[in-house]
Amino acid sequence: MLSGWPVNMWLWILLTFIMPLLTSAYSEKERAQELMDRFPLIDGHNDLPLKIRVYYNNRLSQIDLQKISKAATDIYRLRAGSVQTQMFAAYVPCGAQEKDAVMLTLEQIDLVRRMCNKAQDLELVTTYDDLTNSMMKQKIACLISIEGGHSIDSSLAVLRMFYELGVRSMSLTHNCNTPWAETSTDLYGVFQRENNSLTPFGKSVVEEMNRLGMIVDLSHSSWETASAALKHSRAPVIFSHSSSHSICDNKRNVPDWLLRELEQKNGLIMVNLYSKFISCGKDANISDVADHFDHIKKIIGAKSIGIGGDFDGADSFPQGLQDVSKYPALIQELLKRNWSEQDLADVLRRNFLRVFKEVENVRDNSKHLIPSEDQIPSEKVKNLCRLDRQNPILQRSISGAKFILPNLYLMSSLLLFSSIFMNK
Amino acid sequence: MWRQVLVALCLSLWICSPDLTLAEDPYLNRAYQLMSETPLIDGHNDLPWQLRMQFNNQLNKVNLDTLETTHTNIPKIKEGRLGAQFWAAYVPCETQYKDAVRQTLEQIDVVHRMCEKYPDTFKFVTTSQGIMDAFKENKTASLIGVEGGHSIDSSLGTLRTMYQLGVRYLTLTHSCNTPWADNWRVDDGSDPIQSGGLSPFGKQLIVEMNRLGMLIDLAHVPVSVMNQTLTMSVAPVIFSHSSAYAVCRHSRNVPDEILLKVKEKKGIVMVNFYNDYVTCSQKANISDVADHFDHIKKVGGAEIIGFGGDYDGVPRTPEGLEDVSKVPNLVAELLRRGWTDEEVKAALGNNLLRVMSEVERVRTQSTNNPGLCERVKRCGKDNSDHTG
Repeated sequence: MLSGWPVNMWLWILLTFIMPLLTSAYSEKERAQELMDRFPLIDGHNDLPLKIRVYYNNRLSQIDLQKISKAATDIYRLRAGSVQTQMFAAYVPCGAQEKDAVMLTLEQIDLVRRMCNKAQDLELVTTYDDLTNSMMKQKIACLISIEGGHSIDSSLAVLRMFYELGVRSMSLTHNCNTPWAETSTDLYGVFQRENNSLTPFGKSVVEEMNRLGMIVDLSHSSWETASAALKHSRAPVIFSHSSSHSICDNKRNVPDWLLRELEQKNGLIMVNLYSKFISCGKDANISDVADHFDHIKKIIGAKSIGIGGDFDGADSFPQGLQDVSKYPALIQELLKRNWSEQDLADVLRRNFLRVFKEVENVRDNSKHLIPSEDQIPSEKVKNLCRLDRQNPILQRSISGAKFILPNLYLMSSLLLFSSIFMNK
Repeated sequence: MWRQVLVALCLSLWICSPDLTLAEDPYLNRAYQLMSETPLIDGHNDLPWQLRMQFNNQLNKVNLDTLETTHTNIPKIKEGRLGAQFWAAYVPCETQYKDAVRQTLEQIDVVHRMCEKYPDTFKFVTTSQGIMDAFKENKTASLIGVEGGHSIDSSLGTLRTMYQLGVRYLTLTHSCNTPWADNWRVDDGSDPIQSGGLSPFGKQLIVEMNRLGMLIDLAHVPVSVMNQTLTMSVAPVIFSHSSAYAVCRHSRNVPDEILLKVKEKKGIVMVNFYNDYVTCSQKANISDVADHFDHIKKVGGAEIIGFGGDYDGVPRTPEGLEDVSKVPNLVAELLRRGWTDEEVKAALGNNLLRVMSEVERVRTQSTNNPGLCERVKRCGKDNSDHTG
């Protein structure tokens, strides 16, 4: 009977059933793109500077920032991914702690500054106003973050100088304890303490960050350190690249109780896309990522969520999210899961802007405070690569003294020996 | 006889009364007048180092209005008519290959905080225009010089960030070799020659400093580095606190043939007041210091001379120049020796302003092309502290 149906009939059946399927899928992608055109992404964490250090020794002259084949990030793909602001990490490894971490961090900060100055498409920003203006100018805004308190070598002066250089966020630890804060992933076994929270000097660091207007980032910190910092901070804090511990129980992720503490202080969790933190396995897909978003929204609502991809800082990403051009695919999935456009606009950029503005407000309300002169007790930081600055005997070497004394000694020894000799 | 004794007594009392003598000293009055028209710009003061040594940089424990344990405090600055000061961000050579960078950042930070704490006295500036703006506001313009290449840990990135933090000169070495430059002590044999002056990286550094607009300071370097830098540098260079070798043959001082090259490049030699560099002995007076000014003027002209007292960085200062309040007396002495007003003003500040403006112009004209050699090659030094 069916074979007797005319071709027209078949065509109509085709159109009636299959076309809607095709158009609805197409329209979700289009919706995602259109949404990201209006609310382009502010991403919380990217390690392109690390890749440039490792592969090019920070020689920007050897790179075309439009297309970097060895990285997951370049200008072409940032544009394709509708990334309007990227927080670039001036990261240095934990192995540099108690060695040349400060110098290496300065080099990474310098790299980001040069990178964002060199490319016409990029623009370094350090204020809320500059950030919002950069969107109108159709630039990709660069923010600078520090990834790990070991970069400041327990010195608030260094923290202040980093702020002067444009750093606007610092994670308290990377994968190593500092003398004043503890990590979630202790790969180095240094500065072990019994209580896993924030020392008095650690609290001074948080206070000074509040006074300066630097965002406190709790990614990589232990949960106890994070909770202590949350309690102590006057400004909202962020997790720049961490995901949900309920979905994947990696210590780098955030448990529900800590999410609730975060939400109460108007903070922000920017979801990390690294496969190992998404599925707790080597492989993952976009749906696994969306599960994190769904769960966190269920616990604390969309107003506390952002995205911190961690591209170029990790070695495996979910299928369909391999590099910075793929963010729209994630937004498309969330639209499919009935996330509202308002919620997604918040996740994409409005939540971060709110936090950044509030951090600036806390700074502006701190004008009555003077720069902190708190110092870490010297016994906490005694090591071979640190000159003991408490040593009062240390004198500035003046040429005369250094030159005359050995000669005097020599002369008097000669005189003494010659007199003994002569007396014989 | 008694009458003669009385007259002699009155005469001697009158001569010995300093206030009376100085108030009527026309040269001193003229000095004050000139110093109100042109700022005294001093090239080097180590108050930040004293703040670290005496107070561990805790400014809340210091009152610069009443501090008595240094050559420099605010009343003395006012009395001395100090128009502008390059504050030294100095850290000892013992920090090389250790925490020199961190400590240098702490010294830069203490200068910033000092200026914030005393905003009526100090104004932090980074340009020649900034110096004049501060002078018009009757404040001491405050700039920063980093004293010693060991502070940058052989890193051009570190140099650039320090420039961003307001540092406007780098003394290439202090009293130790860096991996890329020999220090002045190779000239008297106390240190071995390692780089033959400047290494290839040292030369890259000169290029980068020209491009950035950072003044190159040759105080503390040996003659080889002086020669190489004066040849290579596109912008004029400075000696922030060195005196004349012909007057006192100390290796920290500047030989005549170098003075001629400085003149050719329109640079500046800012005279150091430290007794040991002024008379090559532990005692000196104002006249001895003025001899250096005279000699440099004779050899190189009045356009290459300036003031670089080295206060708070030395243990012995000349009689009559004990602290920063006394510098107008030196200006008076120059006038007494026949220096014209123009020559004095050149030495006070116009020479430094010229040098700084020219360095700024070279920066503006340079293409935006950061140094090709970003990091020093390992040269056999113990670099176990570099995770590189």
